[in-house]
Amino acid sequence: MESYLSLAIAILAAPLFPGIILKVKAFFAGKKGPPLLIKYYTLAKLLQKGSVYSNSTSFVFTLGPTVSLASALVVLLFFPFAGADPLFSFHGDVIVLFYLMAIGRFFTVIAALDTASPFEGMGAAREVFFSTLAEATIFTILILFYRLNGSLSFAEYFTGENPISLAGASGALLLFAIVSLFMVLLTENSRVPVDDPATHLELTMIHEVMILDHSGPDLALIELGAFYKLFFYSAFITHLMYPFTLAHGISNGVIFYIIIAIIYGAVGMTESIMARYKMNLVPKFILTSFALVFFAAILTMGVFQ
Amino acid sequence: MDTFLLSLIVLFAGGIFSLLTYRQFNLMKGAYIAITAIGCLAGLFSIMTPLQEPSVVVTFSRPWLHLFTLSFTLDALSAFFLIPIFAVCPLAVLYSFHYMDKADRKGSTGVNFFFFNILIASMALVATADNIISFALVWEIMSISSFFLVIYDYQKEETRRAGYIYFIFSQAGAMFIFAAFALAYSRTGSYDFAAFAGMPGTIKIIVFFLALVGFGSKAGIFPLHMWLPHAHPAAPSNISAVMSGVMIKMGIYGIIRLYAVLDVTDLIFGQTLLTLGAVSGVLGVVYALGKHDLKKLLAYHSVENIGIILIGAGIGMIGIASDNMVMASFGFAGGLLHVLNHSIFKSLLFLGAGAVLQKTKTRHIDQLGGLIKRMPITGKSFLIGSVSISGLPPFNGFVSEFLIYYGAFHGLTLSGSSFIFTMFGIISLAIIGGLAAACFSKVVGVVFLGEPRSENAAMAVEAGGTITLPMIILAASCLVIGIFPDPFVQSAFSGMRAIKVLVPVTAPEVAIVTANLALAARLFLGMLLFSLVLRKIFYRNKVIERGPTWGCGFTQPTVKMQYTATSYARSVINFYRPFVLIRDSYSGISRIFPGRTTYETRVDDIAETALTDQVVTPILYLLSKFRWIQHGHIQLYIAYIVVTIIVLLLFL
Repeated sequence: MESYLSLAIAILAAPLFPGIILKVKAFFAGKKGPPLLIKYYTLAKLLQKGSVYSNSTSFVFTLGPTVSLASALVVLLFFPFAGADPLFSFHGDVIVLFYLMAIGRFFTVIAALDTASPFEGMGAAREVFFSTLAEATIFTILILFYRLNGSLSFAEYFTGENPISLAGASGALLLFAIVSLFMVLLTENSRVPVDDPATHLELTMIHEVMILDHSGPDLALIELGAFYKLFFYSAFITHLMYPFTLAHGISNGVIFYIIIAIIYGAVGMTESIMARYKMNLVPKFILTSFALVFFAAILTMGVFQ
Repeated sequence: MDTFLLSLIVLFAGGIFSLLTYRQFNLMKGAYIAITAIGCLAGLFSIMTPLQEPSVVVTFSRPWLHLFTLSFTLDALSAFFLIPIFAVCPLAVLYSFHYMDKADRKGSTGVNFFFFNILIASMALVATADNIISFALVWEIMSISSFFLVIYDYQKEETRRAGYIYFIFSQAGAMFIFAAFALAYSRTGSYDFAAFAGMPGTIKIIVFFLALVGFGSKAGIFPLHMWLPHAHPAAPSNISAVMSGVMIKMGIYGIIRLYAVLDVTDLIFGQTLLTLGAVSGVLGVVYALGKHDLKKLLAYHSVENIGIILIGAGIGMIGIASDNMVMASFGFAGGLLHVLNHSIFKSLLFLGAGAVLQKTKTRHIDQLGGLIKRMPITGKSFLIGSVSISGLPPFNGFVSEFLIYYGAFHGLTLSGSSFIFTMFGIISLAIIGGLAAACFSKVVGVVFLGEPRSENAAMAVEAGGTITLPMIILAASCLVIGIFPDPFVQSAFSGMRAIKVLVPVTAPEVAIVTANLALAARLFLGMLLFSLVLRKIFYRNKVIERGPTWGCGFTQPTVKMQYTATSYARSVINFYRPFVLIRDSYSGISRIFPGRTTYETRVDDIAETALTDQVVTPILYLLSKFRWIQHGHIQLYIAYIVVTIIVLLLFL
């Protein structure tokens, strides 16, 4: 029951948090900013509209939004939100889930290429390049976690006897993991300094330019998938920062959503105080995240065992 | 074994039949396909027993030339490698009905079919040979018959050149294998593989690495892969499908079989294979990204997938060396299953490339586009093949990659160098996966999606029924293995019983893993269905318009403005710059009213460049100094022979 409830709350609440990013950015700019529920309004607006399809597109174009949403949803089914047991879990599920996210990306990319637009092709090329680099970081994080407690699933990482968390015995190593995971979060979810969701020039976009031709409910599904993806990464970091095995039920949930809000706030703050990188700096940014967590994985060989 | 031999006889008869009756072209093709299909089905039937009961081993042997014994054994490992041979080859043969349709080349086609069946039979015999003589014999038959298949279009100079390159590589490789066998024979005094286990440790290592060069050149391990990107584009597509999907796996079979019969547990074997695998995997896919000839690109992907298989085998061997049986079982199982999976999706992709080639007459992907609307069945099956080869769930490529990951992660508890190697293996697999997805999004996007970039692509129509049917079957198998992985994983597990030092994980434990994989695949498909239904509901009673693609304000777009494969891949290739040679030539703009400008870019293989610059050119220079030996005077040639014989006789 607790599992269903926490999953349902996560699914319903995920579109709320990007509103926090906008609020934080507005605060830094000295503006009032859009209402917190702005993303719900956007979704509702998009769902009421019809769509315009390009003459160049085929069925692949319509598969993009659905596959990316489906892959984002499956990931949520396996994640122990606020320490509640997930609906499904097995030894090795993290590998499957990160590959499922990859298939979501694959279809987003080929849907972009389906439009025959030069801009969307450019965005697609950047997206696949940066994600291949981010994949190395993610798998090194999984290597580190396996070294720390011998598990290969989200439930084993964060519930169980010996959860991975900052408070644990090798918390120092997790600082590396948290920082690099935050960098991966920024990359995979197209945030500043890798990508700028608010930019107006197509030539400088990555993710936004890939979905230029999507409209109406299709666009809503893509947005929803993106909210879930960002929510998943934030929840991942949240669990690393605080172990949710100590208390029970309500208090866990409250702490969980407070930390999530802080992480979204941090994303907003990063966006406010940093400019986006030039494209040729982005690989270096991602490789930095890899180097950090690789270093941590090497340290498990002697010092922290 | 009787059924197995019967199937080979049927295959041989089919080959002879096509030679005799090629004048009745269509009749010959139909009957030939039927005979070959029957032969392969009989072969599939014969391997059922060894697959299900791995303890049953049947042997067939007969004396040859009074001196030697030809001996063939059908055990579980052989049976596992026979699955792709007998399952993929008949589909490639069926494909040839509409693909080999040049009525003016009846004779060549008949010869081609003959050698095709010889190739199938010899591959089956390679997978069962169990002594040195029989292995060497059938290995050579396999290499030579495939050489004749490659030079089907022998009128073209390019094809002849590719044929020579392939011939040199396969014969040089065979030389290394024979050297290894000779060394082993000099130590054991027996032709039997079974005697190999009794050799001293250092000899075993030398034998293994000598043979690894030979098997590696057949399999296409970097840097011995150079023949692949030449031979595959030159050969007809059904031949490329079988050579890339099935034949190069015989190199892998050789490596694993040799490892099994040598009965070794040293760490060095696993570490070497893992390193070779990681290098082949990453560089294979990077070169594939850089190539824009559809078949060349697929050839480089074979190098990549051989790399993945070797990473699996390397993880397995490291597991054995460090007595970590979970790691060893899953590493080997993943590697073996990837052999089967790769044979399915790679032949699917080559057949798809063949269909595209037949209908558009162009191999350069930057001149294609929009084919999914013109060739829907080819396009959809190619899309499925692309997702599978990128190792994405819920298709088969993911299952084998997952098993390798699973084994590798269980090896992370090791200490010292084994930990470093295992970590290296995992990170390389992750990078390979990402790059493969990048490369195949490029291929699908540029070839099948968007707008056609040339007249040829715009005029394309769907290929004939016998071309699309094999692709549909292969695409369906990709999905079936992805959703019901258990029987396939279990047969991979029974296949590795040939490795005696390995104590595989028990079947119920494997069943748990496969059940979990199946659960994840089905959950994803369920979610996809849910999203599709959701989308349908949202689109009820909505206005859907069609219009041009949004050009970001530009109102006169042309198809030439589409992103090309070259620019799509450029930033990734740049990243791997020291290992990839990029050559640009740009004519530049000089006057106020510029004339015609040209820009050309190509990506070169460092192994090939190094071979040409460091080995071939110096040797050619050296040999040119001896050219005076060849002068055309017959009497002097006879004198050479006489002198040589006399000199040799002195040594007797």
